[in-house]
Amino acid sequence: MMLFSQARGLPVRTLTDAEEIGVLKALTVDAPAGVVTHVRVRRRHSRKESVLAWGALQAIGPDTVLVRSAAVPSEVPPHHELPGVRILTETGDGLGTVQDVVFEPETGRIEAIRTAHGDLPADRLLGLGDYALVVRAG
Amino acid sequence: MNELRAARSLTTLPVVTLGGDVVAEVKDTVFDTAAARVTGFTLSGRGLLSGSLKQSLPWTAVHSLGHDAVMIVDVGDLADTPVAVARRAAQQGRVLHARVLTEEGAEVGTVLDVVVEGGTSGRVVGFRIAAGRALARGSGRRRHRVYVPRGETLVVSGRTLVIPGDAIHYVADDLPAFAARVGAFHDGHEGQEGTRP
Repeated sequence: MMLFSQARGLPVRTLTDAEEIGVLKALTVDAPAGVVTHVRVRRRHSRKESVLAWGALQAIGPDTVLVRSAAVPSEVPPHHELPGVRILTETGDGLGTVQDVVFEPETGRIEAIRTAHGDLPADRLLGLGDYALVVRAG
Repeated sequence: MNELRAARSLTTLPVVTLGGDVVAEVKDTVFDTAAARVTGFTLSGRGLLSGSLKQSLPWTAVHSLGHDAVMIVDVGDLADTPVAVARRAAQQGRVLHARVLTEEGAEVGTVLDVVVEGGTSGRVVGFRIAAGRALARGSGRRRHRVYVPRGETLVVSGRTLVIPGDAIHYVADDLPAFAARVGAFHDGHEGQEGTRP
């Protein structure tokens, strides 16, 4: 069990030579599937952001992220930042904004969305776009 | 019952897909000629400088009308409507400034706004009116604005609406109070029908 806020800022190292390639900046999610699909890393030297597929990760530990391969995935989905985005029910009613996200670091499965009004279970997620996270009405 | 909304307050409401993308915002709400239902919305782009869109949103494509957004399933649900057609439809469905009379012939006032039910029904439940003398109570100096229920026997002819005579007993000064009155008004009508021989 881990929070997006805890994962953000972790150093990212390659498994082969433990070289620090950058820090974890953001996690890209597939909202309907309820999983983290990609992580975005800010490179240490170039300060540019690059994208790693979830499958390229060895582990997200409490102190560091280990990656098997720093290769850029062929297909990168658009990134919508989940923390801070407004939440709408499918009936069109606002539920505040996303404060944090609880996920399983082993599998990338999202467990819950943390809001000011309490936690939303991941099975209520319908879609995440440029405007809002849409959830099933509870 | 779902939340009641004044149609004018729907302008600028974002139109959002279930995928979370905003595609437009509401410009005007269009009603059928009997002022019974919302038939759709004309749209404008998001932001100050974006004008009217060529596309409109038919009510059949609305997933839900909510407090903070009009939800649609997919951006493909927007219908291509030439602006002129949308404008004509909006004119026909215009009930603003129409006179409101009771079945007894008393002039109640003129329509300022249309009250619609949120959710999936698109039902028109009443009107916000500038009350005429028949309704204005107390000092006549302040122009009285009240909500009256639509009723099922409403007749529309030209720019005049005729509402049931007893509808004026269910007027309210604000929307929350009106929601309760509309419930009582419909209960009362169902009760009457039940006792008819």
